[in-house]
Amino acid sequence: MSDTPLLKVENLTVRFAVKRGGGFGKKHFLYAVDDVSFEVAKGETLAIVGESGSGKTTAALAVARLVDAYAGEVDLGGHEILHLEGEDLRRVRRKVQFIFQDPYSSLNPRQRAEDVVREPLLSLTDTPKEEQQKIVDDLFAHVGLRPEQKRLFPHQFSGGQRQRIGIARALATQPELIICDEPVSALDVAVQAQILNLLRRLQTEYGLTYLFISHDLGVVQHMSDSIAVMYMGKIVEHADRLSLFNNPLHPYTSALLSAVPTVDKTLREKSRRILIPGDPPDPVNLPKGCRFANRCPVAQDRCRETEPDLKTVKGGHRIACHLVDHTAVSPL
Amino acid sequence: MTEPLLKVENLRIELTTRAGVTPVIDNLSFELGHGENISFVGESGCGKSMTALSIMGLLPEGVGRIASGSIQFHGEELTTASTERLRDIRGNEISMIFQEPMTSLNPVYTVGEQIAEVLRAHQGLSKKAAWDMAAELLDAVRIPNAKSRVGDYPFQMSGGQRQRVMIAMALACKPKILIADEPTTALDVTVQAQIFDLLRDLRRNTGTSIIMITHDMGAVAEMAERMIVMYAGRNAEIGPVDQIIDRPRHPYTKGLISCVPHIVANLTEERHDLTEVPGIVPSLQEFGKNRCLFASRCNLRTDECLRERPPAREFENGQKADCWHAEEL
Repeated sequence: MSDTPLLKVENLTVRFAVKRGGGFGKKHFLYAVDDVSFEVAKGETLAIVGESGSGKTTAALAVARLVDAYAGEVDLGGHEILHLEGEDLRRVRRKVQFIFQDPYSSLNPRQRAEDVVREPLLSLTDTPKEEQQKIVDDLFAHVGLRPEQKRLFPHQFSGGQRQRIGIARALATQPELIICDEPVSALDVAVQAQILNLLRRLQTEYGLTYLFISHDLGVVQHMSDSIAVMYMGKIVEHADRLSLFNNPLHPYTSALLSAVPTVDKTLREKSRRILIPGDPPDPVNLPKGCRFANRCPVAQDRCRETEPDLKTVKGGHRIACHLVDHTAVSPL
Repeated sequence: MTEPLLKVENLRIELTTRAGVTPVIDNLSFELGHGENISFVGESGCGKSMTALSIMGLLPEGVGRIASGSIQFHGEELTTASTERLRDIRGNEISMIFQEPMTSLNPVYTVGEQIAEVLRAHQGLSKKAAWDMAAELLDAVRIPNAKSRVGDYPFQMSGGQRQRVMIAMALACKPKILIADEPTTALDVTVQAQIFDLLRDLRRNTGTSIIMITHDMGAVAEMAERMIVMYAGRNAEIGPVDQIIDRPRHPYTKGLISCVPHIVANLTEERHDLTEVPGIVPSLQEFGKNRCLFASRCNLRTDECLRERPPAREFENGQKADCWHAEEL
């Protein structure tokens, strides 16, 4: 979708062994991320959306080398990073940082705020001590924390302020890619806006690239340049922001969009809600064919027979659905 | 106007903490009509759940108490009702579903047993009759193969199904009022849509009034006819949902609507910064002071906001906002 991607993920697969049945039962595998490919251009934001269990967080963890990939390649700024170890891996960790969902459990309660922010400098860089303090002070100002708050402990901050500490920590090593895993979903609505605005401001300021994981389509619509929709470990649709929201092609994306409650009266009256029945299938015993077929309102026989490939149609829109051809018309 | 189903007047609930006694609900009044759906909106710590618990007579004993005001259900005063009478009303006439379907079910009993328990306790049904009824209720909340699933344990069900079980339990005795405290917060959006659809249908078929507590303006717009916006234990704004969304008269309501990036019908390249409501909800020590508690976060703040608690200003169709500057908005 762009000329020079900062992050290029190819055929990424992550699987977990699960126990089923008795002690002598066959080993089963759950493919949390199944043959996923995408690119993110420098300075842009790719959002991965999906419901719980879709594999979006696992994919992000694999990119950050926080879980092991089973297969595939992750290329950051021209270098393959999945096989790196030791000092090489440390260098990559400087460039890829993480902002976590829960600002309560992701900060060490026994560290003072400034020590939380300093931690990545200590463990990942050889920054001299005097310089460290300057970097920390700078970061505090940039994320909107007051200097006198440096010596406080995490429990003395509100949820939004804690998330600011988490953001400052992620920025400490001057990363190129920041993975934001549901960065506002644990916060009160009025505070969410503060954090989202801050993330966008920092992106321009530092030229950051974001991989933005979220289940909230409203937030994604506001934050991203392109969006990949995941369902049961697979990307089912991937397009730029305007195409995805104005012309969703996959029935699952359409259902997801129509399920979001909205205050926009015209939208509420205009759009008919596409209710998808039931729950996702068992991820260990996936049905043959399209993974969404059992809940899809327009599924046909072939959808239950063969699994659709992710193909590129008009306008660079990627879609995995048998019922969409190159003209990019929604089957609904 | 006919007699409302539920009438809350000048309710004041005090909470005793180490710091002293604070009014977590401060002079709250509202009415709920037959078959009406009303929503409580606000951030955490604004007293939404506290209001619900007080209606259910479930305030934490020894810590929270109703200091003054009245709650009338069908003309019957609940604040002075006996424990037995309240127990009779709870589950039978007024019932509640909670946010966390994972933790509000007992993991060591089958869902059938848990639903049947309600029926046996309140309606005196036999074991067999209650079990059969439980299966019917599961079917009514659209759990597939209800007859065979009734013997399942909670862990065998998905989050959405567990919330359906909670709804089945709450509806077992055909209550007049269903209080839903953030019923879909823990669920995925497509499952949330299913649950909303179910609640709407049930209300249409049974005429049950619903009080829904939420922080999502979108959910309010989809589900309710009227809303009450709460801030720091007080009513900030009350009125018809569409009217308030069109023209909020309280700066807090306005902030709650515009701080969230909503899905719109036609997305354009344009992207504005989201409106921020700076700061956070005041601490409990601030509650009950004679001034506007939202003032510290408000850009319309003037001297009078800090001097005196704003009175309710009335607008058309019963919209009321407790703000000194309501007319200017």
